[in-house]
Amino acid sequence: MMEKMIFGRYVPMDSVIHRMDPRSKLLLVFLFVCIVFLANNLLTYILLGLFTLLMLGMSKIPFRFLYAGLKPVVFLVIFTLILHLFLTKEGELLFKLGWIEIYEEGLRQGIFISLRFFYLILMTSLLTLTTTPIEITDGLETLLNPMKKIKFPVHEMALMMSISLRFIPTLMQETDKIMKAQMARGVEFSSGPIKDRLKAIVPLLIPLFVSSFKRAEELAIAMEARGYRGGEGRTKYRQLVWTYIDTIILTFMAILTILLILFRT
Amino acid sequence: MKRLKIKALISIGMLSSISYILMLLNFPLPPFPNFLMIDFSDIPAIIAALIFGPMAGVLVELFKNILDYFMTGSATGVPVGHTANFIAGTIFVLSTHFIFLKLKSKKGMTFALVGASIIMAILMSILNYFVILPAYTFFLNVPAMSAPDTRQMVVSAILPFNLVKGLIVTGMFMIIYVRLHSWIGKQATYKI
Repeated sequence: MMEKMIFGRYVPMDSVIHRMDPRSKLLLVFLFVCIVFLANNLLTYILLGLFTLLMLGMSKIPFRFLYAGLKPVVFLVIFTLILHLFLTKEGELLFKLGWIEIYEEGLRQGIFISLRFFYLILMTSLLTLTTTPIEITDGLETLLNPMKKIKFPVHEMALMMSISLRFIPTLMQETDKIMKAQMARGVEFSSGPIKDRLKAIVPLLIPLFVSSFKRAEELAIAMEARGYRGGEGRTKYRQLVWTYIDTIILTFMAILTILLILFRT
Repeated sequence: MKRLKIKALISIGMLSSISYILMLLNFPLPPFPNFLMIDFSDIPAIIAALIFGPMAGVLVELFKNILDYFMTGSATGVPVGHTANFIAGTIFVLSTHFIFLKLKSKKGMTFALVGASIIMAILMSILNYFVILPAYTFFLNVPAMSAPDTRQMVVSAILPFNLVKGLIVTGMFMIIYVRLHSWIGKQATYKI
């Protein structure tokens, strides 16, 4: 449980994708989400599929982790596939059995749309499976840096984000402690009528708020004592390094985009 | 002055984590479809808005959703549900804040929260009808719902759900506010 709180879905491993710069991974996934909608015929879907498989292969993520992300939607995808099969009545009639009629266009649409859906889920999961949330935050901060020109507080946002990531496990522990303390006094959290269970949350939340403000005060003093003066000229503990791998993979992505634009009908 | 700013930054971060933790403890409400979940993650956002001003409340809502997206991902790949949650939360927090500015008392707080629930329910229904449900059907590739179907869905599920959700959060927040209001007053750096 605790592990899950700190790293989200991150699967620690050593692979090309894990070593990629979070910036290029963010760009990659963002572009991919955009270009997935360009595909509209067999060739373009195969190209996208090959790219997705290549990325998944390079990430070395075991299949069960990917499946865990797909599981909630598999049913939905099958449902939409069936809807398309039976409801789209265009193109040639392929199959007829009593009242069941399957048309060419329905089959095509159904399969393409399910594929597109799988590609989207797999690629977005790939980002969260191979990158820790703190790396994503760092990546976003540097990517959004140009926004500083229009007075958008990029550094402050990233700081708040990292603090909140850092304190999720701590506050979870605290919640657990308060819960046990209240249980020792006879509060029931997991049984009884809903109304009572809701009321039981109140003596949990109030100490949590008060203690988190105490922590905030202490952290503010500590940061001041160490000379925190905002983002200007601040150095970093985790440096982002752009390597040749990032350039190669983004070039691949660019080629894929061009191919998609050329081959789409 | 400077320390206040650092403290505000840190507190918003912490309230976002509390909000995220509360979001994990969500539960569906029996008569409604189970993609509509109730949680208390709006409570830290309202507290942030009372202590550090309306912008802080919006930021807590934003971080909560970004954290959840990073940690658990989204069923549609593209965060449609998270965006909807962010918009709903923002509307709720901002309307509470601005109604409370006019009526500054415990009773005023109840009015503000109930008013905000109604505003949120109405605005979210409109948004769902025009933007969110179509976006879902687009990304999930379910054949688009017809207009009467969408209207039926909005009227029978989304409108009452948001109202009930708002009212439950109101009840919860009032219990907490009664005990915490003097403490909130002491912490407040945002002069009402």
